[in-house]
Amino acid sequence: MSELIDAVIDGQDVRVAPGTTIFEAAQRIGVTIPTVCHLPPQAPAGVCRVCCVEVRIGDRPPERAMAAACARPVEAGMVVTTNSEKIATARRTLVELLLADHPSPCARQRESQDCELESRAIEVGARADRFPTSGAHPPPIPGWTATDDSHTHIAVDHAACIMCDRCVRACNDIAHNDVIGRTGKGFHSAITFDAGRPMGDSTCVSCGECLVSCPTGALMNKGFGDALIPGQPVPASILVGLRGPDGGAPLFEGIAPRFLEKTLGDIGRNDGAVVQRNFAAGEVICTEGDFGSTAFYVMSGAVEVSITAPISRVRNDAGPFARFARKMKSLLTSDADADRDPAPGLTIPIDAPVDLSRARPVATLGAGELFGEMTCLSFYPRSATVKAIEPTVVLEILRPVLQILRRSKAFAAQVDARYRERTLETHLRSIPFLADLPSDFVDRLRERVVLQSFEPGQVICAQGDPSDGFYLVRLGFVKVSQRFPGGELVLNYHGRGGFFGEIGVMSGAPRMATCTAVDHVDVVRIPADEFRLMLDRFADVGEAFRAEADRRDRQNAEHGALTASMDLGEFLDQGLMQAQNLLVLDLDRCTRCDLCVQACATAHDGASRLIREGLRYDNYLVATSCRQCRDPLCMLGCPVGSIRRRDTLEIQIEDWCIGCAVCAENCPYGNITMHEFDVTDSGTHAGRRKAATHVKATACDLCKNLDANQDPSCVVACPHGAAIRVENPREFFASQKTVSRPEHS
Amino acid sequence: MTNQLDRPEIAEALEAAQHRNGGYLTQDAMRRVAAELAVPLHHVHGVATFFPHFRVEAPARHEVRVCVDLSCRLRGGATFLDDLATLAGTLPAGEIAVMPVSCLGRCDGAPAVSVDDVSYWRLDRDGRDRLVGALRTGTALPVPVAPVPVAAAHADPYPSGTPRYAALRRLAVSGDAASVLATLKAAQLRGMGGAGFPAAVKWEAVRNAVADEKYIVCNADESEPGTIKDRGILTTAPHLLVEGMAIAGLVTGARRGIVYIRHEYAPETVILRQAIADAYIEGVLGASVAGSRQVFDLEVFVSPGGYICGEETALLEALEGRRAQPRLKPPLPVFVGLHGKPTVINNVETLAHVPAILAHGSEWYVGKGRAGAAGFKFVGISGDVERPGVYEVPFGTTFRELIDGPAGGMSGGRVLKAIVPSGASSGFLPARLVDTPMEWGALAKAGSMVGSSAVVAVAEGRCMVDLALNVARFFARESCGKCWPCRVGSEKLVHILEDVTRGQGDGARLGTLDDLALTLRQTSICGLGQVVPAPIASVLAHFPDEVAAHVRDRRCPSGTCTMTGANG
Repeated sequence: MSELIDAVIDGQDVRVAPGTTIFEAAQRIGVTIPTVCHLPPQAPAGVCRVCCVEVRIGDRPPERAMAAACARPVEAGMVVTTNSEKIATARRTLVELLLADHPSPCARQRESQDCELESRAIEVGARADRFPTSGAHPPPIPGWTATDDSHTHIAVDHAACIMCDRCVRACNDIAHNDVIGRTGKGFHSAITFDAGRPMGDSTCVSCGECLVSCPTGALMNKGFGDALIPGQPVPASILVGLRGPDGGAPLFEGIAPRFLEKTLGDIGRNDGAVVQRNFAAGEVICTEGDFGSTAFYVMSGAVEVSITAPISRVRNDAGPFARFARKMKSLLTSDADADRDPAPGLTIPIDAPVDLSRARPVATLGAGELFGEMTCLSFYPRSATVKAIEPTVVLEILRPVLQILRRSKAFAAQVDARYRERTLETHLRSIPFLADLPSDFVDRLRERVVLQSFEPGQVICAQGDPSDGFYLVRLGFVKVSQRFPGGELVLNYHGRGGFFGEIGVMSGAPRMATCTAVDHVDVVRIPADEFRLMLDRFADVGEAFRAEADRRDRQNAEHGALTASMDLGEFLDQGLMQAQNLLVLDLDRCTRCDLCVQACATAHDGASRLIREGLRYDNYLVATSCRQCRDPLCMLGCPVGSIRRRDTLEIQIEDWCIGCAVCAENCPYGNITMHEFDVTDSGTHAGRRKAATHVKATACDLCKNLDANQDPSCVVACPHGAAIRVENPREFFASQKTVSRPEHS
Repeated sequence: MTNQLDRPEIAEALEAAQHRNGGYLTQDAMRRVAAELAVPLHHVHGVATFFPHFRVEAPARHEVRVCVDLSCRLRGGATFLDDLATLAGTLPAGEIAVMPVSCLGRCDGAPAVSVDDVSYWRLDRDGRDRLVGALRTGTALPVPVAPVPVAAAHADPYPSGTPRYAALRRLAVSGDAASVLATLKAAQLRGMGGAGFPAAVKWEAVRNAVADEKYIVCNADESEPGTIKDRGILTTAPHLLVEGMAIAGLVTGARRGIVYIRHEYAPETVILRQAIADAYIEGVLGASVAGSRQVFDLEVFVSPGGYICGEETALLEALEGRRAQPRLKPPLPVFVGLHGKPTVINNVETLAHVPAILAHGSEWYVGKGRAGAAGFKFVGISGDVERPGVYEVPFGTTFRELIDGPAGGMSGGRVLKAIVPSGASSGFLPARLVDTPMEWGALAKAGSMVGSSAVVAVAEGRCMVDLALNVARFFARESCGKCWPCRVGSEKLVHILEDVTRGQGDGARLGTLDDLALTLRQTSICGLGQVVPAPIASVLAHFPDEVAAHVRDRRCPSGTCTMTGANG
């Protein structure tokens, strides 16, 4: 043990262990040195300098500059003065410098009258107007704003930030989350989240350590306002100790307890961010197609997950003579249909750590399992109906709390472990090529796959990157896009069960496309070596993947060529050029007699898919089956993955559509129509979007199913020749002199 | 802990990423660097936004940086900036970005400008017009003036033709580090970067430290307005620096040396790298220094920019891949330096003097000085003189001897009004002190310092308040922002002085200057913050009437300040 050190502070002798700071030594003899940036147990940063003291060592002359008591260790023979006129002036001036630009009162002062800068100002007798105000803070980086309201429960006010470094140390050194840092330089430096993101878009795990460390109103708790859920609130004091079903680590491990309390509230105003709900066997927890904003965590019991909508789709009236004659009653069918591409795979992807079999879309989930994440995080409709099958206790949680959980390392580890153990196998097998993968290889992959999460907008892999693996989507949507000289083309969107990255891994070439998380995305990555091993070992799998890769390759190349040849400005912008088949109404000839609409309705179960208010180009109204949009937004957000592109790139809606209408809302051209059916047994769901009828999405199919060689019903029906079917839109519009071409420089 | 991450590769990785990404760092580029080096993203972003060399926004086709600091301000920098800004305004957006920047280290060729990081200096009216013309028409840019060697009559013990590295070879054979230390002590060699700390004491501390690794770092980051002397040495005699560092390595037991050089010194970096390569070929660097069993490797680290990097602990932070924010001292770098190991940090000139001292002996060296000072000194002189440049003069030479001698007198026969003894931080001395010798004691007595021997001559007709503001702006621009007094205090000082030069000076506000000065001097973490108040304090002390005219009479005696506040 090292020898103790003798020193003198304000005339009093102290004897301390080596490494003891002046601040600590002074505290021990009852001398309190004021500080702002010092917040034990954080390591001292010594940036505010408010704890400045005068130091002399032994017989040496007094030190030229004052020392920061919080950081300076006591040395043998040190004589410290913690208060003098000079020190008082320096402390007062330091606080006055900061007060000049501090909004007074800041949010914290307004709310709880305990802004530490203001408190210190009173103690040292500082005046706010002694130094000139520097006015608005110029942005330290592009896109920066002084107030940042993007986070679900922390409000950021950079104007109130005094750069004390406490949140930075809280985030990095205490919580080890490594999100908050400093950006810029000098007077224009600021705290930053990741690479200068709004806090809500950052990788912040909502641990709250920064918030409880902030001395001012720069980081404030927002509370949840009205977004509370009915039920039995679970107070923070209980949440803190909550463990997973296997008695594992506490779910909220690593989250500052004071923050949980402040956020979730034993204090009343925030009750209901997490509620406990008890269900008897048979009770419905949530219903497919509903909109919601919560996720569920099963504490005990078991639930059944199913799709209750009939597995079927709208079939066209096939009778050629009946087309104009009678209104057919709708037929719901699940018969094989020669004109449709077979759906790949045998499972239906849903918003839960399980995939439903198409043959029997029912599965069970037990304790420790989380479902409804996509609804909660990205507000997609519920993908399935969940019922308790025995007495079950669930926690229903709001988005901010789910985010806290998702980013809690302990919780993520638990969920990931369960995924590897229980779900990976069925998830892998949901890819048709892997349906028969031997179990021992699945076992091998169990510990070798990498589970990764991405934030909205984050790039998962970029065009030109080395190909490091094969990806399978667990949660959320991934955008696949390619850079062309003319811009970016979206090739596809992949939801749960979608996969990408096989082309690069097989060829060993760099990535051909960029894959970006559209929302909160979880993926499974099979490392390149493992994937290649799998292809080598199982010839069928290798062949299937190679065929799929060829197909995707070809499709991408065609699409690329198509895009590269476009130069018609607005024409292109409207998406017309990308269509292979258009239905065009010549509005000069059209008398608005409505026969086309009626014909369409007749052909399609009484609900017209033709909307005469569609996109107009010059004197034409354009109704197209599918434009193969540059950015196929309809693919985005289907909670059950029932919409996909056919090989011709037109969309096809699969039989297990639950009628939530997300695709119809997303299609910018109004080409997807929601279609109601009179179907029994839906129960009532008061106040919910879903009606007591079944709804399914449909799109104009150019009456292809009726007779591939015949014109669509509307064309046949039009007595004025105003409805025209156009096979080659580019030629058609180019030949019409009426098309005005925008000037290009 | 983030603030202890040691990733020297960051600067290089960011540089490469920036190069790949069209000259700036996108979110994704930073994310990749973070992933590659396994550091938090905010850390990479923090570094990228701290150093002026990195950009997070797409740059213009040409980036023109115009020095706005002291020597350039005295030599038409403001007009040059206006010309270029006007030109940029006439061109389509994204063509040319004109930025006022801090000292480019070409004070003897003021006004200095850099185009796409190539420095142009010693431009006469024609040269400036040609540059502006080439930018306007998009034609090939003129070739910049190459580095100009300076006379090193005493410092270089190796006249051309004689073999170099004799002192190093002797030490490698004898291994007699103690006598090297004794000689340097007797020669009274002190730090030539500003602080004047005895070099041998630093070396001895590192020599005595027990550690598995030690480092010799050369601070070639002189960035203070007026400071150009090290540039002269790097251009003329880089082998002296190489030898000095290798000797320091052998004396202290350090096996690795790093020269930290400012990125604006690109041509000088080429010269230095060549000298290092030559030394490897000569066998005086590397695995066997001059045939001995001692190892000494030497490399160059190009600074991503900023005056603060010249502060020795900030320099270490930059070398370790962090924002260049000065460390809290103690511990001193000789105990806990680079990568936490004992480290000698010496200025270029300090190290470059070592070979001559060891070649000729301490007595010879001491005898070269005057007025009680030992040795000789490289001095940079700029401002209102006929022949600005870097000169080797006896230590203790007076300002008058320097100005009237090598510097060729005041430019255009003007009358000396004030002297800046050593760059922005040394304040202004009145002309009556022109016979003060440039020597530690005498300058300290005059309230200034030897500093980095960056003399700036100021002629009559210049406004001292304007110059004090100019210097204050430099410090505010270059503050790292770590500690409160410097981050906010330097900004407020600019604000207060701007008001004075606009005729809006306010007695109450000026009254705060004493408290502000005390706080900056006493509580700033590093020397940058501590010297911020020096220039205005010296103007208040030596030119009080000029300040009073601005504040009381709302009048600028030299007609420099526009005094917009006078009428309203």
